[in-house]
Amino acid sequence: MNAIKKILVVDDEPLNISILVELLKDKYKMMAAKSGAQALKAARSSSKPDLILLDIMMPDMDGYEVCRLLKEDESTKDIPVIFVSAMNESLDETKGFDVGAIDYITKPISPKTLEARVNTHLSLTQQSLELREAHALIQQQQQRMQDELNVARDIQLSMVPRTFPQDEAIDVYATLKPAREIGGDFYDAFMIDNESLCLCVGDVSGKGAPAALFMAMTKTLIKSYASSDFSTASIMTRVNDELCEGNDENLFVTVFLAILNIHTGELCFTNAGHNYPYIIKADKSLLTLNQKHGPIAAAMDNMVYKEDLITLDKFDTLFLFTDGVTEAMNNEEELYGEKRLENFLSEHDCKDVKRNVDLLMNDISTYENSASQTDDITVLSCFYSGQSILASLNISIENRLENIGLAVEGFDAFCEENRIDNGPNQKVNLALDDLINNIISYGYKDNDVHMIDISFKRLENELIIIIEDDAMPFNPFEGEKNNIDLSIEEREIGGLGIHLVKNLMDSCQYQRKANKNMVVLTIQL
Amino acid sequence: MLLTNSEKNGYMVIEFEGSLDTATSPAAEKEINAFIDEGVSKFVFNFDKTKYMSSSGLRVLLATAKKLKGKGELKISNLNAVIEEVFDVSGFSSILNVYKTEEEALS
Repeated sequence: MNAIKKILVVDDEPLNISILVELLKDKYKMMAAKSGAQALKAARSSSKPDLILLDIMMPDMDGYEVCRLLKEDESTKDIPVIFVSAMNESLDETKGFDVGAIDYITKPISPKTLEARVNTHLSLTQQSLELREAHALIQQQQQRMQDELNVARDIQLSMVPRTFPQDEAIDVYATLKPAREIGGDFYDAFMIDNESLCLCVGDVSGKGAPAALFMAMTKTLIKSYASSDFSTASIMTRVNDELCEGNDENLFVTVFLAILNIHTGELCFTNAGHNYPYIIKADKSLLTLNQKHGPIAAAMDNMVYKEDLITLDKFDTLFLFTDGVTEAMNNEEELYGEKRLENFLSEHDCKDVKRNVDLLMNDISTYENSASQTDDITVLSCFYSGQSILASLNISIENRLENIGLAVEGFDAFCEENRIDNGPNQKVNLALDDLINNIISYGYKDNDVHMIDISFKRLENELIIIIEDDAMPFNPFEGEKNNIDLSIEEREIGGLGIHLVKNLMDSCQYQRKANKNMVVLTIQL
Repeated sequence: MLLTNSEKNGYMVIEFEGSLDTATSPAAEKEINAFIDEGVSKFVFNFDKTKYMSSSGLRVLLATAKKLKGKGELKISNLNAVIEEVFDVSGFSSILNVYKTEEEALS
């Protein structure tokens, strides 16, 4: 590291050069240049000097000019320059400093002075370099820490599901909005078998990477035990014992865990120190599930957790959340609070779970205004329709217009068998005609045979129609709205079909699944 | 789809039997245009025997109405509840002349 420093002496007088070289050659490696031009060449070479002793009076280029040029060049501007001038030369000190020199030495040269000045300036330059390098290192570390936090945040978000179990009887949606620092919230929703739905939310105390790791462990343990255990008390007891082992950081986690039998509506649940969830009834009244079954988890091992059983009514909504919701603060440090949440839940329709959750998150965000979010916010909503499939029909047709009639005939027969009224029957026929017509007419670039799959599912009060095709990606429900107020001359003929479908069906959804278009329609019976 | 026609009170009354959809609309349109080419300009379309109409069917009606604008008349009658709803949703009930029965349309 402490290589021998190189010093470049510049003077047109060889005698002056040898004097300086003689004085310094014991400690430093010496280079010499007899003119400005030579000096520049030496300074720019790969063997750069660490300091330059520069004569002022030189023919062709004087010392000031050389110094100016050195400072203008990126590769040489950091080399310290000391002017060497004779006593009888007119000295312009300001000019010297202006062109960037850092010191002056006047002849005759005192050896001690020369050595001291050279030493000082070399040390200064060295220290300055070391400081810059240390600073860069600190910045790198900071960036790395931030990157790691971001990765941990990404891991947290990727661990919680973004797609939810699909079934006729339930509709689930959840979302997690993380605070700037990782907070350790989680949620989960998955089918244990084809009739049991497991739902949970949790909140790990503390922040940062340890909280994120603990959250990952808790969520994984729950899922693992739930796969073979239908008692939430039993699951929670075992999860708690596991979490307590090796919990050196003394982290805790609140959990609300529930298992719903989607055929009977029976809900088994355990609350481990978590804020009470709500059941929103069909008439919008709220029921608070205020039973506690044990302490916050991971605190004490050998705890035996309890559970409770209730039966959901048809059209009940189970609403789970973490305290990030009720403890969200606005600029005046006032809390969002339970009252505001309860008002929101009783005022808004819960059937469309995604819409409802998004609206609530929006409401909280608006409430916070410009205040920063201090804790993770998690919301999970589960609408229980309690309906099961009573009858179903699957039809596949080749992509030719004349085959639409086949699908319609098959569906007409299905309606007869399953006592579906003429009204819904005809509306669905219209939807089939228009949608399948569009697919066949505009969906394929080749002349090959393609299959279009249509399935019908009859629930007690609802009919679900699913149309799947492998045509080009296309969402029929996107696009300009048909203006129905125009006169005969002005009316466009296109787009009318979709307008009718949207208005006659109770809901229309489009999804791109793998390489297929999937349209899902529902109509009330 | 079967189209039966008769002349009443100076109108060509066409009864549409079956559904007016992707499969049947092209043929129906052809027949209607044939009448217009022959010089018929006043029509009553009776949909008593029609179960449903898709947008293809609506297009035929719109095309016919545009053809006859200023030169003739198009009246619609005997729509069932579903087709009436379709007409309302599509805005067609305000741009076409719709009557509950053939008699009303002819009077």
